Amino acid sequence: MMFGQLTTSVVRMKWTGVNPFTLLLVACCGAICAQAGDLHIVITDGKQNGMGDVVVIATPLGAGAALPKPSAAPATMDQRNLEFVPHVLVVRTGTLVSFPNHDVVRHQVYSFSPAKAFQLPLYAGKIYPPLLFDKAGIVTIGCNIHDSMVGFIFVTDSPWFARSSAAGVADIAQLPAGEYAIELWHPRQSDPLARLRGKALVDASGVTSAQFTLPSLRAAPNNNPSKKWAY
Amino acid sequence: MGVLTRQGALLLALCALDSVMRVGLTHELSGVVDLRAVTSDGQQSFLDGGLGKLRFDEQHDGLRFGQISLFYRHDLAETLKLNIDAITYADGDSNAVDLTEAWLEWRPWPRSALRSKLKLGAFYAPISLENRLTGWRSPYTLSWSAINTWVGEEIRTAGLQYDLDWLGTKHGSGFDLGLTLGVFGWNDPAGVLIAARGWAMHDRQTVLFGRIGDLGAAPVNGRTLFEEIDHRPGYYVGANAHYLDRAELRALHYDNRGDRVSYSARIDDLAWETKFDAVGLVLTPTDHFTLIAQWLRGVTYIDPFIVFEWEFESTFLLASYERGAHRVSLRRDWFSMEQTAGVPPWNHDSGSGWTLAYLFELDSRWSLVGEAMQIDSTLTARAAIGAPLRERGRTLQVALRYLFKTP
Repeated sequence: MMFGQLTTSVVRMKWTGVNPFTLLLVACCGAICAQAGDLHIVITDGKQNGMGDVVVIATPLGAGAALPKPSAAPATMDQRNLEFVPHVLVVRTGTLVSFPNHDVVRHQVYSFSPAKAFQLPLYAGKIYPPLLFDKAGIVTIGCNIHDSMVGFIFVTDSPWFARSSAAGVADIAQLPAGEYAIELWHPRQSDPLARLRGKALVDASGVTSAQFTLPSLRAAPNNNPSKKWAY
Repeated sequence: MGVLTRQGALLLALCALDSVMRVGLTHELSGVVDLRAVTSDGQQSFLDGGLGKLRFDEQHDGLRFGQISLFYRHDLAETLKLNIDAITYADGDSNAVDLTEAWLEWRPWPRSALRSKLKLGAFYAPISLENRLTGWRSPYTLSWSAINTWVGEEIRTAGLQYDLDWLGTKHGSGFDLGLTLGVFGWNDPAGVLIAARGWAMHDRQTVLFGRIGDLGAAPVNGRTLFEEIDHRPGYYVGANAHYLDRAELRALHYDNRGDRVSYSARIDDLAWETKFDAVGLVLTPTDHFTLIAQWLRGVTYIDPFIVFEWEFESTFLLASYERGAHRVSLRRDWFSMEQTAGVPPWNHDSGSGWTLAYLFELDSRWSLVGEAMQIDSTLTARAAIGAPLRERGRTLQVALRYLFKTP
């Protein structure tokens, strides 16, 4: 890419699931060529409202794209007010995840997802060793005592991932320059196994911006604060 | 209940006591102390030998004892939990402290989207959508709907319940579904109260080894409700569906399969053959607003020398709004009971009720609940005691509640 050049590309993307749809990717590449760049992604619904809890995975394309070693930084899936916090957690394969219980009641966290089946009885205020998530996939977690609790741990082989904020913004920093496959996933998309796939060309040094529009999701729970009355 | 169940319950209680002495992480003891200021203009309460439908009648104005409850939970194993709920109303019942429920629950870890659950002991069939809190308490009002008041009075299953749940929300769906099958005994007198007194609205559960009021009897010295008379098990089957946390639908068919000619000299009562259908719906359309509707229709028979039959039906709608430490609930009840066979005069009960309650949580332990309730009813059996057939019973209650928990 030429020095100082501003590139805009429009990429056509499809769900790998049943419902194909069109998405717009606008990439504005940075000004100075170097070894690494940042990816700034904005995810909106059809009415331009930001969408939170979207998992964004960037995987380098090309045979020579070597992935950095897994990060050793552990992650946390908390339990507060009869909810999993965060609702969606993204970790790299090989990450240790701890499950502290900050409620006054006990929980029994489990998953029967193929990527990580486990059972973890958690008493309030007690510390338990973290669990290793060593296989890529979507791990749906629940509580065997409180059936309304549901959370997701998205385990990916890629070191470049993010979860969008409530405003719909996902930032991935320091990607080596090059072409990337982009995958998007949301727990309430109509086909729970589908991925929205596309490509993005990360320009060296600077910020590559992209905007994604997701199709409508299934209805969300109320996040009902009166759950506390369940005590 | 029979002697065997009394001994069993005593054993359970002793186990519980023993466990409490060794309080550890798997033991939870909690409870509620509930004191009331009451004013009422109701007829003599059915608990005191009358046919009034309220727990507190006009003789009960002043400071009253609501209840003291104790809830004990113990994990015998990761997936096996013991639950014992004890209560005292201090109103002259057979035992100063008695049990409302005592059961073991086995809830294996889900290995797929299908999960089984098993309950063994004495507990409530899954009917009420009001009584959602520990100890079968309601977060909405002091006095329960006519339907759930009756369930708390006459329906308790000593037996086994199996649940099969489909955990759809852990499987990419918005729905969770469940099926329930219960097999039970010791509920043969169920029906006697609705036939004699009709419906009522209050918050007094009948305890497992206690009694409830009866016409002309001294306070709370009337009928025994949990007894095995015909040695024939009853059953219930039910289904439920949840849509996220926004909607819950329940349906249940109950049949105690009472042998209506069987008689128990010990409690001087026949086995009542009682069967009913119950349907309930909870909607939570917004974060703070809850709507509940329940409907129940049933029939009960005895056959001492000719067949007696009573049909009964009730519906309620409840709306509740909650914000922070405040909750306001309004409920409308409709009910009817009609005797359709037996020796005249045939009994008949019909009426409706309004209940408005406000709950304020002072902190995590103390709360105040104010409730205004009016119940209008026409009960023809009142002619036998020279009471007006029509009653407009009104109560105003303020409850001060203290919730405690260990450790």
